[in-house]
Amino acid sequence: MSESITDPMDDTSTGPADSQDQTVAVRDRLDRVEDPELARSIVELDYIDTIQVDGGQVEVRFTLPTAWCSPAFAWMMATDARDEVEALDWVNNARIELCDHMHGEEITTGVNARDSFGETFPDADGDVAAVRAAIADKARVSRQREAIQVLLDAGVNPEQIVSLERSGIDIVGDEAHVELDGLSVVVDAAPVADYIDRVTTSGHVTADDDTLFLTPEGDPIPADQLDVVQKRSRLATVNMGGQGAVCDALHRARHGPDGPDGSGSSPFAESEFDQSAYDGNVDEFTSTWTLSTDD
Amino acid sequence: MCAVLIIACMYEKDGEEIFVIDGHVHMWDARKENIIHEGGEQFLQCFYDYHTGFTPEEEQWDIDEYRHYGPDKMAEDLFGNAAADMAIFQPTYLDDFYDEGFNTTEQNAELAEKYPERFVLNGSFDPRDGEEGLRYLEHLKEEYDIPGVKLYTAEWRGESKGWRLDSDDAFQFLEKCADLGIKNINAHKGPTIRPLNRDAFDVEDVDDAASSFPELNFIVNHVGLPRLDDFCWIAAQEPNVYGGLAVASAMSTHRERKFGEIMGELLFWLGEDRLLFGSDYALWNPDWLVDQVMNAELTQEQKDEYGVELDVDTMKKIMGENAAELYDIDIEEKKRQFRDDPVSERFDLENHYGSEVGAAAD
Repeated sequence: MSESITDPMDDTSTGPADSQDQTVAVRDRLDRVEDPELARSIVELDYIDTIQVDGGQVEVRFTLPTAWCSPAFAWMMATDARDEVEALDWVNNARIELCDHMHGEEITTGVNARDSFGETFPDADGDVAAVRAAIADKARVSRQREAIQVLLDAGVNPEQIVSLERSGIDIVGDEAHVELDGLSVVVDAAPVADYIDRVTTSGHVTADDDTLFLTPEGDPIPADQLDVVQKRSRLATVNMGGQGAVCDALHRARHGPDGPDGSGSSPFAESEFDQSAYDGNVDEFTSTWTLSTDD
Repeated sequence: MCAVLIIACMYEKDGEEIFVIDGHVHMWDARKENIIHEGGEQFLQCFYDYHTGFTPEEEQWDIDEYRHYGPDKMAEDLFGNAAADMAIFQPTYLDDFYDEGFNTTEQNAELAEKYPERFVLNGSFDPRDGEEGLRYLEHLKEEYDIPGVKLYTAEWRGESKGWRLDSDDAFQFLEKCADLGIKNINAHKGPTIRPLNRDAFDVEDVDDAASSFPELNFIVNHVGLPRLDDFCWIAAQEPNVYGGLAVASAMSTHRERKFGEIMGELLFWLGEDRLLFGSDYALWNPDWLVDQVMNAELTQEQKDEYGVELDVDTMKKIMGENAAELYDIDIEEKKRQFRDDPVSERFDLENHYGSEVGAAAD
């Protein structure tokens, strides 16, 4: 995908000796960084232009779909990228460069100088923590739908679902075990684990007796409101998917159909629809864009 | 009525004619000599990416044409092939970026006053202008009899990074709108103009404003994308909140499935009476967009999921009737008027408006 420029000289670090492996390791860390608006990986979205490894020094250059992408979101991605790459034990320093953005210089300078958002943008209203929390909340709401759907599909009724507590679910390998009055229901772990991960990180669900599923406002769900909450979750998913389509179109408009690296690979085509909360029938989803770029 | 005569007047879907009011058009000037801040150039470039990103290749403009197209081309694009029957101007001032403004009420008036029967001319206000702003609003009402305003809450001005529709200052202006009979409040709630952190995804100020001014209509442009979820939830509870489909309409290019999903959500939460088509011209050209939207369909799966249809009655409302309701436009009267108005004469459209001699529409 992206160009890899690595130094063939001696590598005294303790990490992977092979430069190709190092680049892969960096990419794997970057894959954990999400575009907060889309809740999708910046690697998957093809935002990464280059990864350059020089011993313990790593430089990552990335470009967003539009120069007008919110600086707060750009800041989150840049700082997350820096922190993820530096989590590799053989990396001493990660330098992040945001290219072609209205505030590219300020963000690049600020992130690498380890300044705060407020120091970089003294005229901003506050820091990014609140924005980050609000955005994470949208992802929480969106992902809840899939988790609840697998339970509904397994025959768990609405009353049982809304009264589930954190301790009522055990993730065992690729199975989620749901304890219901002595009965145990087993469902696919993936959507449930992903949801639990998000609500744990966001602080919505921490204690064993915390209610597991919540309204978008963060309250327990009345059983007769579960359907409305599910529809609001669908809406959150459609919103993110819609924004993803906008970002993808802008990304393409900026870089041409072949993307920034000329590979012609689509940042969205393979996975755009697997997040759709419809019914999981991915085969039926078609992307006009995918068709149009195949010719 | 025209359809009874079975002639090809205006657009037809399933044999029924559809009167099209393009709810969102601009006549902007982004020529280099008008740009006074680099933000102005970036802004135009960003618009151009939106244009090329959601326009079929054969319909794309070159950048110079896109900077400034002027009233003649605009009239031709809107009405030349009868793509739209009427259009609503939505000004965007951006005075910090553009010397004479990007797309002001006065600039738009050049064309609106040439064909007054074809255009609705909205004005604008900015509560940060205080007393002077109130006087300007009165002036716009007096000079142009504006029936609505287009607002940019995220526009930077000097030290300020935007404003909220639910602030005391804004309420003073909304009060003034109510007094003057300016009843259509179009709020831009989409991609922000110069966003840092604030307003990055905030559509909530519409809620309080809408419930405090039930006599006004709040049309949220771009249906809040990327805050469609917040927008729909608010609109579901506030009957005087409407969705302007600019940007969303263009997603019918290359993204039909996403367009269908968004329409499904909007029809589910707001219903068919509170959605207004808009091309956002010249971001996209009704010349081809109207036809494309009119032919868009929901998949069977989407129809089942949302329990809604994009049928001819729904389309008639979205493409024209809902806007006509908000702006007091009598569609039947307009059709009679358009049989021999200057636009019809200029583009030979007389037969499109119910004359009994039916020429082929295209």
